[in-house]
Amino acid sequence: MNGHSVLTMANLKPKSENQHEKHEGPDGGWGWVLVIAMFVSTSLVFGLMRSLGIFFVEFVHYFEESAQAISWISSIGLAAQQFFSPVAAALCNAYNARVVVMTGGFLAGLGFLLASQATCLVHLYLTMGVITGLGWGMVFTPMTATVMAHFTRRRTLALGLAFTSIGLSSFAFNPLFQLLVDMYAWRGALLILGGLSLNIVPCGALIRPQRRSKSQPKVNSEGRPSCAMMLQRVASYLELSVLCERPYITFTLAVSLFNVGFFVPYFHLVAHSIQAGFSEYQAAFVMSAAGATDILGRVLSGWFSDLGYFRLIHLVSLWTGLAGVFIMLLPVSSLSGSYATLMVINLLYGFCSGALTSVIFAAIPMIVGVKRTMGALGLLQLIESGAGLLGTPLSGLLRDVTGNYIASFMVAGSFLILGTLTLVTLPHFFSCTDPPPTNPSALRESSSNSKDQDVTSELEQINSLAADTNLRGTE
Amino acid sequence: MVMSASWKNQLFLQILLLLSCCRHSSTSPTTTPLHPITLGPTGNKSVILRGENHTEKVELSQPINLTLECTWMGNQKRLPNITGYWRKDGEEIQDSHLTVQFENEKYNLKREFSISTEKDLGIYSCVFGSEAHTDFILAAPQIGEMRDKPIVSYVGDSVGIICKMDKAKPKPHTWFWYRENGTDKDRILINPQPHRYEINNNDKEQMTKLVVHNLTQDDSGLYYCGAVYGIGSSMGHVELKVITIMEPLKPFLAILVEVIILVTAILVYEKTQPVKRETAGDVTNAIQKNDPPQEEDNKPEENSWRLRKF
Repeated sequence: MNGHSVLTMANLKPKSENQHEKHEGPDGGWGWVLVIAMFVSTSLVFGLMRSLGIFFVEFVHYFEESAQAISWISSIGLAAQQFFSPVAAALCNAYNARVVVMTGGFLAGLGFLLASQATCLVHLYLTMGVITGLGWGMVFTPMTATVMAHFTRRRTLALGLAFTSIGLSSFAFNPLFQLLVDMYAWRGALLILGGLSLNIVPCGALIRPQRRSKSQPKVNSEGRPSCAMMLQRVASYLELSVLCERPYITFTLAVSLFNVGFFVPYFHLVAHSIQAGFSEYQAAFVMSAAGATDILGRVLSGWFSDLGYFRLIHLVSLWTGLAGVFIMLLPVSSLSGSYATLMVINLLYGFCSGALTSVIFAAIPMIVGVKRTMGALGLLQLIESGAGLLGTPLSGLLRDVTGNYIASFMVAGSFLILGTLTLVTLPHFFSCTDPPPTNPSALRESSSNSKDQDVTSELEQINSLAADTNLRGTE
Repeated sequence: MVMSASWKNQLFLQILLLLSCCRHSSTSPTTTPLHPITLGPTGNKSVILRGENHTEKVELSQPINLTLECTWMGNQKRLPNITGYWRKDGEEIQDSHLTVQFENEKYNLKREFSISTEKDLGIYSCVFGSEAHTDFILAAPQIGEMRDKPIVSYVGDSVGIICKMDKAKPKPHTWFWYRENGTDKDRILINPQPHRYEINNNDKEQMTKLVVHNLTQDDSGLYYCGAVYGIGSSMGHVELKVITIMEPLKPFLAILVEVIILVTAILVYEKTQPVKRETAGDVTNAIQKNDPPQEEDNKPEENSWRLRKF
């Protein structure tokens, strides 16, 4: 069996390299340019979203509405970004990632431009919420999937580097937005923000349009397109087939559970620290420190996972489990009243939370294959958005009911741990406990062949090849 | 330490004043402060001075007969007698010179002042010889937390300017708004038409809001809000800047131009690189041609696998 498989491997290698070039392209080169483009565009989407709090203060004064009504603006924006992700993925599959991202950047800028002329709160909901959110949705998923397609061995590092933009840009945007609001009031500041968002368009222009791996096999209708065929095409663009696969469903469920608990510290940590008796300055510093270790965690975890000592899915479970544990420890540490304990747990939490964001997207190509990553990522964003909507109100409710944040943090941490346990039920999770040297490379090559199983041992690899041929036959 | 004690004293003073006011019928002044009341409420303020000098803020909202007392612990010299006198706003008060004895390790100066009009407010100082003095700053309650940055708004838009009196301080009788006019202040009056100004007073929050509609560039300038008390009024000021849409439009257009230039540059650069892309494609095709059928996904692997199996 072993010699047999070695021969198979030897024959596979040159083919995999070719399909390497055909489907992903070499690590590096233009890929790094795309990482820079993704850095800029992600900072203009999520970094910007995080700094909108400054505008909300102004809106409360101008429109004389409650803070809760104003906070709906960013909720609608985030929901729109996640809801329209599958649509954006489908458009990329149907047409061109470049056009989609450029249109997304244009829409995001347009939304802010129109928002600067708003005369009532509903205008803001529609412009800053829906239009800009739609634009953001058309930027994030395509950019991420494109970058992932351009890398194999350095995928997680590339993602980690690109995602550091969120933390870094929110450091830069907060004082910048404050300055803009002081100089031009919120209307002028929103106008300039629209201009800044338009910078996503050149980022999209950097995507080279030749990587078309989706369109040809699907265009099989010659004459008049029938309804069923159109539906089938749309379903294939939306990558709905992944919804029928157990690994993907398990992964999506796990990510949704992560989302319920993940944002809770971000929203409530400052309030909790103040309630625990620390000053406002100390509480704000806690958040900044978590942000700093978050950035560090993204890069280090990306670099580390690409070294290949552990399976990516194991690293995802590790970081999410640890993050869950530290979130649960956060209220416990501040109970003791010691600022140092809170700070240590907080730094560890920041590191783990950054680490998990790097690896979690990179795990998708491992599960569904690089070709289907675009659609899979879009659907994932949509499904996890529902969970995110649940998380923050739940923690707020727990806080109102119990009077402090301990219950909210405990529940949030437990959701993360629950998600980790869900990940454990992925098929072949426990294989490769002692990774032999060939297995990690075999895993990468098998995924670079666009197969969609977590394969480790050679026997399973061969079995999966057989299974894949059956799958492809039915497509 | 002394300041926190003095805050408590102030609060006590306010409560005293409030209680004494309630006994009177409230004659709320609408325009100018009251006529002097001879038999008015009274209050005390005493400060112990340890060093060379000290400043004490006293906030008054009603006319009052205020007794100020200074106690000085003395210095190394410990003279048995020392000349003490009172000053108001830097000028000596007539007939206030006294010889102060050194009793019980301290010097003591005490005097009653009748504070009834706004003119009576100011800085009162008790001076011990030429060595030590305590300043009492008598004023109406100051408006805290005024916005120090100018409020920016646009031509044709409306803007609200807020003045808020701290809830811990006494409630003003009413609020006035003034507009700066050269070195003077013009009172802002509500005219039915043109309906440009709106003043909303919120007594519960102790705040007032001036809303200016249909802004023009001439509306830029300093705006003063005055909290009116029995003893006088205290002012706060905010600067309003009215700008046109042209101001933020300039950076926006600059960014727009930059975006267009970048996109054009990227697209042009790509168009001028066709040779490289085609050669890369050729290389890929060549490699594919070398190995038997490679374009279709896994039939070759299947074949090789089957071959190996046998």
